[in-house]
This record gives sequence, C-alpha cells and structure tokens, in this order.
Amino acid sequence: MNPTQSPLERDVAAMIVSTLNLETVAPEQIDPGAPLFGTGLGLDSIDALELALEISKRYGFQLRSDDEDNRRIFASLTNLTAHIEKNRVK
Amino acid sequence: MNLFKSPRRLHVNGVAIWAPRLPGWDSARAILSGSAAAPATPATRPSPELLPPNERRRAPDTVSLALEVALAACRNADLAPASLSCVFSSTHGDLAITDYMCTTLASAPAQLSPTRFHNSVHNAAAGYWTIGANCARPYTAITAGAHSFGAGFLEASAQALSSGENILFVSYDIDARGPLATMAQSSGLLSAAVIVGPQRGPRTVADLDMTLHAADGLVASRARAGNAALVAGNASESCLPFMEAIALGGARDILCLAGPNLGLTLSLRPI
Amino acid sequence: MAGVQPPRITAFTATCAAGSGRAELLRALRTDLSGLRTNDFGREPLATCIGRVSGVEGAALPAPFARFDCRNNRLAWLGIQRDGFLDAVHAARDRYGAERVALVLGTSTASVGATEEAYERLTPAGEFPEDLRRPEVHTPHSTAAFLQHILGLHSLAITVATACSSSAKAFAQGARLLELGIADAVIVGGVDSLCGSVLFGFNSLALISRDPCRPFDAARSGINIGEAAAFALLERSGSGPSLSGCGESSDAHHMSAPHPAGRGARQAMTAALNRAGAEPGEVGYINLHGTASVMNDEIEARAIAEMFPAATHASSTKGWTGHTLGAAGALEAVISLLSLESGFMPGNLNARELDAACGPQIRLASATGRLRYAMSNSFGFGGSNCVLLFAADPAA
Repeated sequence: MNPTQSPLERDVAAMIVSTLNLETVAPEQIDPGAPLFGTGLGLDSIDALELALEISKRYGFQLRSDDEDNRRIFASLTNLTAHIEKNRVK
Repeated sequence: MNLFKSPRRLHVNGVAIWAPRLPGWDSARAILSGSAAAPATPATRPSPELLPPNERRRAPDTVSLALEVALAACRNADLAPASLSCVFSSTHGDLAITDYMCTTLASAPAQLSPTRFHNSVHNAAAGYWTIGANCARPYTAITAGAHSFGAGFLEASAQALSSGENILFVSYDIDARGPLATMAQSSGLLSAAVIVGPQRGPRTVADLDMTLHAADGLVASRARAGNAALVAGNASESCLPFMEAIALGGARDILCLAGPNLGLTLSLRPI
Repeated sequence: MAGVQPPRITAFTATCAAGSGRAELLRALRTDLSGLRTNDFGREPLATCIGRVSGVEGAALPAPFARFDCRNNRLAWLGIQRDGFLDAVHAARDRYGAERVALVLGTSTASVGATEEAYERLTPAGEFPEDLRRPEVHTPHSTAAFLQHILGLHSLAITVATACSSSAKAFAQGARLLELGIADAVIVGGVDSLCGSVLFGFNSLALISRDPCRPFDAARSGINIGEAAAFALLERSGSGPSLSGCGESSDAHHMSAPHPAGRGARQAMTAALNRAGAEPGEVGYINLHGTASVMNDEIEARAIAEMFPAATHASSTKGWTGHTLGAAGALEAVISLLSLESGFMPGNLNARELDAACGPQIRLASATGRLRYAMSNSFGFGGSNCVLLFAADPAA
C-alpha cells in the first residue's frame, strides 16, 4: 500500500500521467518517494523536458534543463511537488 | 525504353496490410479476393506490440500503424524483424503532427512539445521500428509524392538486388487534419508492407518479374471498384492494386507509377 | 556487389552560410571565416546563432515554376546554378537522355516553412491564404518535384528524409541506381532551409546553443541551425573523385539520442572502409558529424579515437556552417571533396579547448597535405547513420 499523496502531489501525479500518456499507471498509484527516472516510473530525458514544459504552462515558472539541482528536483514525486510548491506563480 | 537492362526477378516473401476496413492480411486477403465482406464497423487504430512501454506511449498514429503492418509482414514471411533492412515510404508523413507543429508555431512556439517534434521527422516510423525490433540494419524513409508506393517499391527492390538480401518495404499515410487538409489530402489510415528478396523465403507468396519504363501518359492499374472504395481518399491508396493482385493469386501484371512518367510493371507469377 | 566500379563525382557544388559556391566556401574554410550570425530569422527570433544564406529572399523562381515558390525551393535553385552544375546536368541530360538522369534529394525541412507561414496567416474562415494555396509546396516531396520539373528530367526523382543523414544516404542511393543500370547519371544532394519547426523543435529538446556552436569543445553548449543547398553528379565513369564506399547502419536505441557506445556510428564507418577496401590509416581527412551537442560529440570522439591512427586529421565544419540537418550530408560531402581536391583540411572552428574524449585525430587548427581518401560522417535522429568515403581522382 503506497504512502498517501498530499493534494498537490495528487495533482502533480495526475499531470505526469496525462502529459506523458502513461498507459499502465494511475496517478494515485505513484509512490511519492519512489524514483521517477531510470528505475521506478522509468521516465527519460525527453519526459523531463515534456514535464518542464507542462509545469511552466500550469504553474508559471521555468525549469531549466541545465540546472544542477535537477537530479534532486526530479528524484521523486515528493521532491518535484515540493519544488513546484516553492516556485509556482500560478 | 526499359530502364532495367533486362527484367529483374525477385520474390514476394511476405505481405501485410492494415486499414480500418482491411484490418490485417488474413481478413484483407479474403475481402480483396471477394470471398468475404469488409467489416461493417471499421476497426480502430492498432497498438504496436513491438515497442517497449516508454516508446509505445509516445508513438503517434503513423508509427502505430506502420509498425503493426511491418511486424505482421515479418510474421507472415517467417523472417526475423532484426534481420531486415527496410524502406519506409509515406506521401505526406504524419499530417496530424504537421498540423500540430504549425498550429503551435503560429501561437506559442516556445511551447512546442519535444516528443512531438522528434516524432515529426519523416523517418519516425522507421526509427521506432528499428528501436522496437532492435534492428541495426540500415533503413531509409522516402517520399515521391503521389508515387511514393511505386518509388518505395522500386527502392526496396533495388536494395534487394544490390545486397542479395530480403528487404522490408512499408508504405503508410494517415488522415489529414486542420487547415493543411485542403492542401495535403488524405483520409483514413492505410499501411501496406511487402518483403522482397532475390531468393525465395520460408513462406514465399509469389515470384515477381519487374520492368521499368519511362513513357508519357502512363495509367496505373486499378483495383476492383469495391476494393478501391475501402481505402479511397488515402494518399497511399495506390498500394491497393498490387495487394489485391497478391490476394487474388495467379499470374497478374500490375503497373505501378514510380514517377509521373515512370512505370514499374510488377509481373506476379504463382509459385 | 563485387566488381562494381565506384561511381565518379563529375560535378559538385554547395551554397551555405559560409559561402555560395565552392570558391567562396573554400576561402571561408581557409581563413577561418565562420558563416554563423545572431539569429534574425522569424517574427520573434529565438536567442541563438544561425547559418543563414544571403540572397534567398530576393531570388524568385522563374515564372513558369512560380507555383513551387518557397524558401527551400529558392535555395535549391540558387544552389544548383553555382559552379556550372546546371550546365553539367544539362550536358548529362543531352548525353544520356532525360529518362536516364535520376534525382535523389535529401531533406528534413522540405518546404514546411511555407506551411508554417500559411498557419500564421489563416483567413478568418481558418483557410490558407490565397497566395499559399499551392499543394506543391505543402508536402515533403516539394523540392525534389520542383527540381525534376525545372531540370526537365523524366527518370526517378525521390526524396530521402532521414533527418540529419538524409543527403548522405542520397549518395548511397544514387550509387545503387547506377549499379543497377536504372540511371546513367544521378543528381544527389540536399536542401534544408531555416524555419520555425527546426529552430523551435531543437530548442524544445534543449539542444540549441545561444552562442556560436563549438563542436568538440569541452564547454560546448549545443547546436546552431543552418541552411544549405549542395549537389553532386554521379556517373559510372568520367573524371573526378570517386565515391569508393558508403556505410549505413541504425542505432536502434532512441529517437533523439545517439547510441551511448556509438555502435551504429562505428558500424557505418567500418562498413564504408570495408566497401572501399581501405584501411583506417589511409583516410587523410574525416569530416565529422560534430554537431556541438553534448552527446554526439563525446560519442563520436571516442569512436574516432579508437578506430583511427593519430595521424588522421578529423574535424567538424559546423562552426562555419551550422548544422544544416537534411542538407548536412551533401554539404559536408562537398567540403570533403574540396579537401581531397585542394589538400586543405579544415580545423575545428570555434573550439578552444577540446573535450577530454577527443583523441589526437581531432584538430583545432587546419592543415594541408596530400589526401588519398576523405571520409564524411552523418548521424541522424532516429538513429540513422551514413558514412561516405571519397577517393581522390588518380589522374589529378
């Protein structure tokens, strides 16, 4: 049984599933602490770019592809959501 | 004049087709030869089983369609996908993505999707195929406008003759969307595949003698009216006379245009 | 096929940001004069540098062909008239017959820029504006069809669109047509032009650099897009260098990232050498794909370091021209042929400190020498690889 997602984590999980057309995963099934890239959800660098684009549209701020912190930001749903919460302007 | 110095002999070692009313070669062969009726309800788009999940979820319609047919042709031929060089041809490429690209560029260019951009290259179907099939053999992706099927068939045959190996040829076109639809016309989904080789394979369908002529006023062979109607309006519909001839069996000569003044005569002979 | 004579290249030309025609291009290469400039293309130009060809805007097509008018076709027409190439085409057509001269054209953009413009200027009813209601240009075969008409050819005319390897593959495809006797001369080439799709497309993949691109530089930050038109005439015999080997392969890895070990790139280089019966040490100059993307350059550098001796001179010329995508194969084939002919081997323009992955082959500075073979690498999106190996004319 996965740890529960916060409301914003649930929104971000739904965004990930719809933006990346994840056919086999429902948003509420994404373990907030599990890796998004490589293992875990198995996303790749193109997915990161798609998510950055969607995040900028929805939450109004730019994730930079060359940001040194990206590894940490994208490490899990929890991390990504925390970063969005901190930087969102929408 | 005959552009090949003499007729060239090849073999049709496998075929496949997909359209909403010709959903797969087994049913298409029966429908095209008149022994079964086309389904009243059109099938929806196929889902490419060969792609890993990461690629499958990103694959656009052209890729799903072409890969379904490519895989079916390999299975029908009993040849391993990874072993075949391939030629992919499409009149217009992915018209849905072109519409998306131009619409987005006109309104918010900085919001262009990277996935859809890398899917917009004319060789997307071929690229995804080699990824899904883990095929390191070379591929090409071509167009010759309205003569893409004939030109692609000629290119695949040229590669087969030059290399001495089987070549997988896949043609496809999808429906046009948006304002572009008035300029680049195409409706529905259609893909056809032919595996040609200089030797017979495990499941050879027919022997094939080819000649190539340059002449004005050439008129391509036509499929039977009822069959042509099943794919009418699709930019790749010129594949149908050949596919119908394969379905009918027997000795048949099909004239395909590989250019406005370039006739490729495909003389099928039963084995 | 065993025993087949390699085709001769009896004419060749190129037009790009660094020069229109061979003389200008060679002069730019010799004098380190880059053709890159700050991007001024489009309504809201992306912050980057581009390789833009001057004079395209003012170069309308001859009136009977006005229906084909668009940037890509203008560039094609401008380019094919340089260096007596058009005369060579007409002479081949007269000698062999119009049905014996084929055309294989590489492109990735084709005329999509005209379609983009139509979408920017839709009528209130959502239709294409009157002046752009020309189906001839709104399809990938646009430029090949235009050239077939204006050159008066009645043989095979085909478009190869495999992204960045397109016009290199056109050479391989043309050679096959000669081998099989389908044609007696083949015009092979590539034309790609600046447009929103490629600028914003590569930008969306975070592959574009703001600055002039620096292939193989340790601090490189991405590519610059360029445009070009380049052509060569292949015949079974005649004077000129020969296309002694082509090597093609697929990475089978990812649509927009190269195989991490350069598997396909290595296969293609090996295949080209084997086809020519040449040893790596016989290749005097390699024109690298070298786009200045972080990934391509590292992978390509490693492959070169492992496959070629230290004496081989290798460089990317994209610091002069930008990455001309579908035209890159043909443009860089022409540069390789200029190298063979003149003995001048360009350095790696814009790089200051080479990436650690580079071996001694990749050179900052240009050099001169007598070349027997020159090789040109093109590695494209969708993992399509094509390597061309040219041999100097023994009579030259």
